[in-house]
Amino acid sequence: MANAAAPTPKANMGAPAPRVDARLKVTGQARYPSDTPVGNPAFAVLVTSTIATGRIERLDLDGARAVPGVLDILTYENTGELKGVKFGQGSSTSIEDLGPEIQQAGQIIAVVVADTFEAATDAASRVKPTYSEQTPSATFGSPGVTQEDATKVSPQHKHLPQAGDAEAAFAGAPVVIDLEYETPPQHHNPMELFTTTCAWTADHLTVYEPSQFVYGLKNGVAQRLGIDPDKVRVVSSYAGGAFGSKGTMTPRTAMIALAAKRLNRPVKLVATRAQGFTIATYRAETRHHIRLGAARDGKLVGYSHEGFEVSSRPDPYVVAGVEDSAQLYAFGAVATKVNVVHADRNTPGYMRSPPVVPYIYALESAMDEMAQKLGMDPIAFRRVNDTMNSPIGNRPYSSRSLMTCYDQAAAAFGWKDRNPQPGAMRDGDWLVGYGCATAVYPTHTGPAAARVRLKPNGEARVQIAAHEIGNGAYTVIGQMAAERLGIDLASVTVEIGDSRLPPAPVAGGSNTTASSCSAVKKTCNLIRARLFHAAVTANDGPLAGRSADDLMLQDGKVVANDGAGESFADIFRRMGVAVVEDYAEFVPDGLKPQAIADLYAGKVDMVGGSHGDKVMYAMGAELVEVRVHVLTREIRVPRIVGAFAAGRLMNTRTVHSQLMGGMIWGISSALHEATEIDPRYARYVNDNLADYMIPVNADVDQVQVILVSEVDHDVNPAGVKGLGELANVGTAAAITNAVHHATGIRVRKLPIRLEKLLQA
Amino acid sequence: MASVSTATVVPAFARASRATPAAANSGDARAPSDFTLTVNGRDHRLAVDSRTSLLDLLREHLALTGTKKGCDHGQCGACTVLLDGRRVVSCLTLAVAAQGRAVTTIEGLAKNGELHPMQQAFIDHDAFQCGYCTPGQIMSAIACVNEGHAETDADIREYMSGNLCRCAAYPNIVAAVRQARPAMKTASRD
Repeated sequence: MANAAAPTPKANMGAPAPRVDARLKVTGQARYPSDTPVGNPAFAVLVTSTIATGRIERLDLDGARAVPGVLDILTYENTGELKGVKFGQGSSTSIEDLGPEIQQAGQIIAVVVADTFEAATDAASRVKPTYSEQTPSATFGSPGVTQEDATKVSPQHKHLPQAGDAEAAFAGAPVVIDLEYETPPQHHNPMELFTTTCAWTADHLTVYEPSQFVYGLKNGVAQRLGIDPDKVRVVSSYAGGAFGSKGTMTPRTAMIALAAKRLNRPVKLVATRAQGFTIATYRAETRHHIRLGAARDGKLVGYSHEGFEVSSRPDPYVVAGVEDSAQLYAFGAVATKVNVVHADRNTPGYMRSPPVVPYIYALESAMDEMAQKLGMDPIAFRRVNDTMNSPIGNRPYSSRSLMTCYDQAAAAFGWKDRNPQPGAMRDGDWLVGYGCATAVYPTHTGPAAARVRLKPNGEARVQIAAHEIGNGAYTVIGQMAAERLGIDLASVTVEIGDSRLPPAPVAGGSNTTASSCSAVKKTCNLIRARLFHAAVTANDGPLAGRSADDLMLQDGKVVANDGAGESFADIFRRMGVAVVEDYAEFVPDGLKPQAIADLYAGKVDMVGGSHGDKVMYAMGAELVEVRVHVLTREIRVPRIVGAFAAGRLMNTRTVHSQLMGGMIWGISSALHEATEIDPRYARYVNDNLADYMIPVNADVDQVQVILVSEVDHDVNPAGVKGLGELANVGTAAAITNAVHHATGIRVRKLPIRLEKLLQA
Repeated sequence: MASVSTATVVPAFARASRATPAAANSGDARAPSDFTLTVNGRDHRLAVDSRTSLLDLLREHLALTGTKKGCDHGQCGACTVLLDGRRVVSCLTLAVAAQGRAVTTIEGLAKNGELHPMQQAFIDHDAFQCGYCTPGQIMSAIACVNEGHAETDADIREYMSGNLCRCAAYPNIVAAVRQARPAMKTASRD
């Protein structure tokens, strides 16, 4: 029987090689940071604030200190030496201090360190703060929130997309819709907790912490401690899920480093699940006001989108997804605006597909409502407005296969059987609905450096500080090296996740494969050139005198088209070397050479997406069947089909898993996930895995992934469009649209819970 | 290869012996308990804080870090191990309560370098991405088959729902359990 997990490659797709780290992961040998043995560690447990705004007036530590085994307690009174690193300059938040000012619920106010985890936990429960408390502003609509225009406060979003005169377009359009949508806060909740282990050797610090950016963390921690970054090493061989939550430095790391320094002993922190909701970031709640105008034939003439996003009091975190949504169709005129709403909360941060998840949910819901109003099939409506040029500046797409995705997904799904009338399809006691939406994610490429060593026996070692977060980084990086060096994947050893290796960008923006594989490809090409040169310039070798252009690497040999070849071993012998090693720095077009020095210093610039002469996006079409029970209103998703095109796919197996998991994330966004806030106290209510709803196995039925061939020579040398954050985009809209099709009820606020379907 | 259920069967009297904990030498819960724990067929003499969970004991005292902490509240299943062949969440099991019983962890599955059929099936079907929930999923899946709760896909989904996977490899996990089921039955007949 065919293995659905390992799709047969089509054109421009790599083999479904099993993950090179699979055996380690199924035997418990993959070493996540908190698994790393360190000598005689002390254990840290955090104490966090129960209020959101105010001040610590007194901190009674007597009870905690009396617990046997307690070694040290860090508070605001003894951590003054930690330097501040501002939000946006390497830190996830400006709320870094342990007090005495409290700016968010769940702010770290003490770190209790003891000989055992049990003693530290006991003692932490005996830390008694006395607060003077103020009334916090929790979220949209709370008294005391303040609002700012994102273009005024966010350096990354000084200009938002505008085209033509949208007001005039709406005034002249025969069909106009004017609607509002809302999305809830969500927390990443990777299965691995937020851990930090710090060990000092003389004045050198090693940090074992799950990270999506070891160079960023290394430089950030050094800055907080006021030491030379060269004295800090960050190791994150595996991250147990990340989804954005481990991309930027959070306040805990420097605290644990300081605790280890004070004790002169390694200190290990494994924060609790509940603490993870407040000591790191999350996806903030958003609101959207959308208008679309169209002619009777379905041609769009105008699109306006105003977004509202919650952030913390001090920091203007904003995703401004209109930058991407505004590129998606031939809208005609475009008007966009984004507002940051400051509340007394922890600072939000990147969560899987940050800009597009909320904004494309809103747009793709509106697209369905417009299709409905026009009396058009929703796929046909998108086809009418498909375009090879962005409406913003009429710039071409580097490649775009959206309608091919729709066609292949529709055929597999059986979309033609859809009765367009809402509420018309029924199976016994179940109302059946079909819905669709577009998935889209900007293609990002960043600078990266790699070192590759080839041995005469055809074994290679690749070193690059990329990050394995479930994305298959070890595997696809190895595949690129194997392909360029003409050796088996099994002959390649890949070392990543260590700031001692050449740098790679943050594993964010789905750039890892594109950036890392481009750097590895460049480095391998240097090695190829050296081998070719040695082979053709030899006096008497089998390839002597030939053109290097006619050579390739195959099965551990340099070979020519006619079959002549010379083994690596023979070439190495002539070169007089035991290994051939090279190092190369890859800087994508559009970035300055300084980008590599910046990367070493923990700063990343990327190109792609909506910026540049060509716009670069991976795309997909998701079609979903929803069933709503006529009596209980229980909502099920028996099947979902997604077809995706993303340039070169390095490995159809890892790609399949990312896209499948992404669609399930989308189902989760639609039906399950929301962090509930107590508006009186600005505290999260469901800060555990029993009450924060994510899908379990029984929630998921048929998930079909279709890989669509696409070639794009413009995006980067690897030809890769990242897709780790593609498939969870649009899904919530597809399900919203299917729920409407099943029931006639339009839900405009996520998640869709059954109580929202009790009307009529 | 012998299946885990047969490998970890212990005589009934071993359970009874738990009634006389060696830990009862002090009224203070913080006082170390002296006891012996059998993990993956090896006996370990231990003296640890009585409040130590089986999970923390495995990870912090025995260096068996394959078992993962995902919530410490019995909500996620990442810490699943087998206790006398039955799946338990080790975060809600006190280490002292496991004495006299056979503990099997992910490190105890492969025999002489040969993977357990469930481990191989997880590789074949790419039943994970980040891999953090995977040890718990595999331990749970083995028990699921041995319980007879893996006869249909619907059963597998239901009885594997105590193990969360945030990467959402669920369909691949179902396919892996489906593949391993007959292989485990064959192995247990050998």
